Amino acid sequence: MDQQRKHRILMVSDFFYPNFGGVESHIYYLSQCLLKLGHKVVVMTHAYGNRSGVRYVTNGLKVYYVPWRPFLMQNTLPTFYGTLPITRTILVREKISIVHGHQAFSTLCHEALMHARTMGYKIIFTDHSLYGFADVGSIHMNKVLQFTLADISQAICVSHTSKENTVLRSGITPERVFVIPNAVDTAMFSPAPIRLSCDEIVIIVVSRLVYRKGADLLVEVIPEVCHLFPNVRFVVGGDGPKRVRLEEMREKYSLQDRVEMLGAVPHSQVRSVLISGHIFLNSSLTEAFCIAILEAASCGLLTVSTRVGGVPEVLPDDMIVLAEPDPGDMVHAIGKAIHMLPNINPHVMHSRMKKLYSWHDVAKRTETVYNCALQSTDENLLQRLPRYLKCGTWAGKLFGLVMIVNFLLWRLLELWQPAESIEEVPDLVLFQNEHEEPMQDFVEARD
Amino acid sequence: MSRGLASNSKYSYNHLNGKGASEAIDVHDITVKKSRLRIFLSYFGAAVFLTATFYLVVLKELCISSIWSILVCFSLAKVLHHKPIKKESVVIMPAFGVQLETHYWSGRVTCRFVPISKILKPVLNECVTPVTCHWSLALILRDEDELMLVFQKLQPPVRMLVPVWKALCAASH
Repeated sequence: MDQQRKHRILMVSDFFYPNFGGVESHIYYLSQCLLKLGHKVVVMTHAYGNRSGVRYVTNGLKVYYVPWRPFLMQNTLPTFYGTLPITRTILVREKISIVHGHQAFSTLCHEALMHARTMGYKIIFTDHSLYGFADVGSIHMNKVLQFTLADISQAICVSHTSKENTVLRSGITPERVFVIPNAVDTAMFSPAPIRLSCDEIVIIVVSRLVYRKGADLLVEVIPEVCHLFPNVRFVVGGDGPKRVRLEEMREKYSLQDRVEMLGAVPHSQVRSVLISGHIFLNSSLTEAFCIAILEAASCGLLTVSTRVGGVPEVLPDDMIVLAEPDPGDMVHAIGKAIHMLPNINPHVMHSRMKKLYSWHDVAKRTETVYNCALQSTDENLLQRLPRYLKCGTWAGKLFGLVMIVNFLLWRLLELWQPAESIEEVPDLVLFQNEHEEPMQDFVEARD
Repeated sequence: MSRGLASNSKYSYNHLNGKGASEAIDVHDITVKKSRLRIFLSYFGAAVFLTATFYLVVLKELCISSIWSILVCFSLAKVLHHKPIKKESVVIMPAFGVQLETHYWSGRVTCRFVPISKILKPVLNECVTPVTCHWSLALILRDEDELMLVFQKLQPPVRMLVPVWKALCAASH
């Protein structure tokens, strides 16, 4: 790869390790693969407990845990302009060329993208979720998304359903939206060495026990399946407000010996839970992609899932049984999956997953998006303002005003602390030889 | 022997080497440069503040504008008042210890002494605050949970910190 094609990327989101989830995994694995491709990647997130400041994770991935405390659902308080100084400092000192924001629900992501655009950087946004159009929360989120995507270089969605949803919500032109699915670390999720006996069929459920993940659906499905199939046992991993309902169901139908409740499962233990079963059950009511299905399939489990969002796009038909989010249809799908089990070879399934989903492939495709973004023309504030004004009669004017104020604050910061006075950070070089002086490059760069 | 090694708009760095008996003593100074504009503005703010206060006390006319001007001028004087720190020094005495000194414009000097046996490693660290990032030089101390900042009050640029870090590394090995 020639020198011009090497990008310096800032990944921004409120969601990152030590928190665990789909977005966190996506940012981490994508960053690791981009580093392997020779790009520089820096992550910016908010502080988690006493984890604040600069941390280096695997392969020298640099993470800025900015000491802004989360105030709601791991999100920082929306301040519009509060994050401008720190974002500007990081962008300048790390010599960033592209800013990549993740998740529509992340306040830090929206603010950082706004500041980066004001400063003339190319910005990419990845949407990881599906949202509605009717409730107050969704209407508000869609307006915020419309503001962020009004002046974006490129957008990425994790499924075609997600792309359609994002285009409808934000009004962005579909040509500027790319579809790049998630992937799975197949090395981490490998099947059990010895194939399990089918005398007793174990159905695994690993998810947060909340309404959106279909916990209420499980309450109705589990007793019916246990009644129809005496050789079926359930293992439920995860915690949440709906756990109480599952516990009550277990008591009501006396299924203590057939429904095992594991509680919260650490991410490092998910594989060991998955390989103890034959079928993976996903009952989500809305899902843009669902990485859990990939992890289960990589472990060689046959998946039964609700036909919602981007789920039908995830796996080939012979690896998944889809059902409507209805208890009767779910029970029927589980019955169908039980009959399919003898034909399932976990190791063959794992090999197929290895070919189908790789983070390296995701990184290569994301790299193409970055190249596209860098080819887009540079525009000044006056050229960009009309895009915000199109966002609505009143909202458009408000968005335009927000951007004008942001621009003025940025110019003020440039006067107060010129970009030249911000010290650029030397790139970290990982040393193989323990006798080498790890600060040598740093010292030479400064002397 | 003294030689000025680096300088920027805020700070200047000096490295002093002793001669003769105290040849081993190594002194690194980071001196704060006085900003004339800043000093002028702080005095101007203080003058306007005193005038407004005098006007209020003598004429005893408590009006909104006079209270407002007092608050604004006090804030201006407070914000722009130049830092009381004149310089911070690192005195390295090999095989003995490191003395960290803070010199104030008033003449007051505060010292902290760290025995060489207590220093595990000097580190160049990136500090992140809610609004900015800067480099700092710190000492990892034996039996201590927290790092000790070498320059507690000042934030000199990294090119001034590197020679101090090198000297501390050489002394602590």
